[in-house]
Amino acid sequence: MKCTRCKKLACVSLPSHHSGFCKDCYPLFFTRQVETAIRREKMFTHDERILVALSGGKDSLALMLELKLQGYDVTGLHIDLGIPNSSDKARAKVETFCDSHELELQVLEMEKQGLPIPDIKKHINRPVCAVCGKIKRHHFNRIAREGGFDALATGHNLDDEVARLFANTLRWDTAYLSDQGPNLPAAEGFVRKVKPLFRLSEFETANYAFLKGIEIHSDPCPYASGASFTHHKELWGELEFRSPGQKFQFYHGFLKRGKQAFAAMERESGVELFPCEECGSPTSAGLCSVCRIKETVRESKAKDEASQG
Amino acid sequence: MITVNLEPDGAVIELHRTRSVIAALNKLKLRSTMAIVVRDGELLTADRSLKPGDTIMVRKVTSAG
Repeated sequence: MKCTRCKKLACVSLPSHHSGFCKDCYPLFFTRQVETAIRREKMFTHDERILVALSGGKDSLALMLELKLQGYDVTGLHIDLGIPNSSDKARAKVETFCDSHELELQVLEMEKQGLPIPDIKKHINRPVCAVCGKIKRHHFNRIAREGGFDALATGHNLDDEVARLFANTLRWDTAYLSDQGPNLPAAEGFVRKVKPLFRLSEFETANYAFLKGIEIHSDPCPYASGASFTHHKELWGELEFRSPGQKFQFYHGFLKRGKQAFAAMERESGVELFPCEECGSPTSAGLCSVCRIKETVRESKAKDEASQG
Repeated sequence: MITVNLEPDGAVIELHRTRSVIAALNKLKLRSTMAIVVRDGELLTADRSLKPGDTIMVRKVTSAG
């Protein structure tokens, strides 16, 4: 296969774009897609400060590097979840990456927050992935707000967005369907959230990360086996193989023609938010869900200690 | 014979009578946009040929989200 742009030997084939690119032209394709996403969705400007959530995976590190190369004012934020034989490796990848590219990095340790994820697994009777995700979103938003950042950028790609939209549609979850999108404006204690990789698939991000020599943390989370999200991605991978471009059509069609209807429904029935009594984060209850989780873990641990002593 | 280093699984798989990247991916039950394939540091498209003795790295791209 020849590069669509320069006719040299291609190293990446993209059926959904009817294109192939060589190692020199592929990063240009990637850059154009990110530029288009930022411009069309009015995500942020070069005068704004962007906090980038860094997990250590290919998507977040590729996003951080690409935004820096495009001249944006970016700071990374990594959350050390405190999971044995996993979190230390992810953190090391993020720290090495930021050092080598001279990128600013903040690290939040869940151990120091009194809420390492192994404690959640042990003391909270809910799926650990859901609670972990909730806690991460809480701290990303809190730190972005407290640090005076204009936007929080995450490395969610087209596959992530399609899998999430698919799951929300299977449940007809109107609340989630009302605000899913690549740009969630700031409101009621929430900082603006943006997803500059939403036009790019995981395959496209993986190729970019490889060509840029990014060392990624690719070990699966020891707690994440069998997540339905992964099965949905597999289903969509098959659909995309049979009809290249289907993922983007599904997601783009939702943004253009579906989302407004759910947003209108939610405006009528949506709940009012107030600052959490403990941490100030927005919540519909007195205490936000993360502070309630923290309280439950504290009580459960105290009970365990009392029964042992 | 082709040697496949499968990531992130960490498995090493030997494939016989496999003469192209697409044939290797088919044997691994992967579509061409579900993994990147690398030989000697070079990314390969699915239509590239493989020769006996080649070692390739196949890195699945699906993250857990």
